[in-house]
Amino acid sequence: MAALIRNLGARAAVAALASKHVVPAVGGAALRMSTCPPTKADKPTIRKPDAVARTHLSDFGRYVAECLPKYVQKVQLTSGDELEVLIAPEGVVPVLQFLKDHHQAQFTNLVDIAGVDVPCRKHRFEVVYNLLSLRYNSRIRVKTYTDELTPLDSACEVHKAANWYEREIWDMYGVFFANHPDLRRILTDYGFEGHPQRRDFPLSGYVELRYDDEKKRVVCEPLELAQEFRKFDLSAPWEQFPNFRNANPPAEVIPPQPEKK
Amino acid sequence: MAGREAVKRAVQQVRPILSVDREEARKRALNLYKAWYRQIPYIVMDYDIPMTVEQCRDKLREEFVKHRNVTDIRVIDMLVIKGQMELKESVEIWKQKGHIMRYWKESQDPKPTDFLSKFIQGVN
Repeated sequence: MAALIRNLGARAAVAALASKHVVPAVGGAALRMSTCPPTKADKPTIRKPDAVARTHLSDFGRYVAECLPKYVQKVQLTSGDELEVLIAPEGVVPVLQFLKDHHQAQFTNLVDIAGVDVPCRKHRFEVVYNLLSLRYNSRIRVKTYTDELTPLDSACEVHKAANWYEREIWDMYGVFFANHPDLRRILTDYGFEGHPQRRDFPLSGYVELRYDDEKKRVVCEPLELAQEFRKFDLSAPWEQFPNFRNANPPAEVIPPQPEKK
Repeated sequence: MAGREAVKRAVQQVRPILSVDREEARKRALNLYKAWYRQIPYIVMDYDIPMTVEQCRDKLREEFVKHRNVTDIRVIDMLVIKGQMELKESVEIWKQKGHIMRYWKESQDPKPTDFLSKFIQGVN
């Protein structure tokens, strides 16, 4: 309000000066700023999250954190309106069971389980459970962490769909799932050694296969590259996505308790 | 006091995979060895590999001895789990002849060790 009064005062002063045909430069600048405020450029390519949906999601995330304080470590919204619940590794089954059976959640659909490998961390693997609630048309992501030797609890007893997803994680990252009914390889060949999605597994692999005409079978030999490994610098010097410079922040942490009014 | 703190930090409480102490891990490894040992005649017969049972048992021993210096219980457990999975793959004939023969690495020439053969092959 005070700013408005000041603005009006400035405008009145400028009008008074203009009537005397003396327009000071500073006053002119102030007038121009007040008459046409800088309009924010509308970018239709960037999806804007719905404010109502955001509040619903953050309320629900806060509720989950209040219900399971032992396991939930952090609740955050990523890319505007995707709710993520970061949990301790021992809480996989209870959290998924809660989200499945709670009447206001009903995340009965396990869409996918994904793995992330960040070798510099102490717990280098992240395991991400993507859940869908058909009843409320909403999605949630549950993230947990582990390392090469710490087993995670299998989610098979909660979601039957977790069976093959966990086999995939085991095969690609080598994360062991305790109490899994049938944990074995799913994507790699029998006799394959190593876990190909780990960051320290080379893109070319360690071995190559070829058909041996004398032995009449496929033989496996260590890979020999014809030339030295080259490091290509593929990063461009210019900005890749300038439209997304001011896009939604990657993750916004939802504080556990909203401020009391 | 500081020493005790350091020890506490070094001895980290971890979740066991299967075994809780060394003895249990050792038993698991021995059980796996015995299971492989007993299955080898059937594997030789089913896959019709050009190896004798004795050669296979030597190879089995070699594969186990390769990890003789492993002391971490969880690493032992993980190796036992992988060995168990491999045994199942072999026994259920999910593998093929080539997969079994892969243990012997027949088509790979041993790397030259002395100077002259290195020079002839052109490797350093």
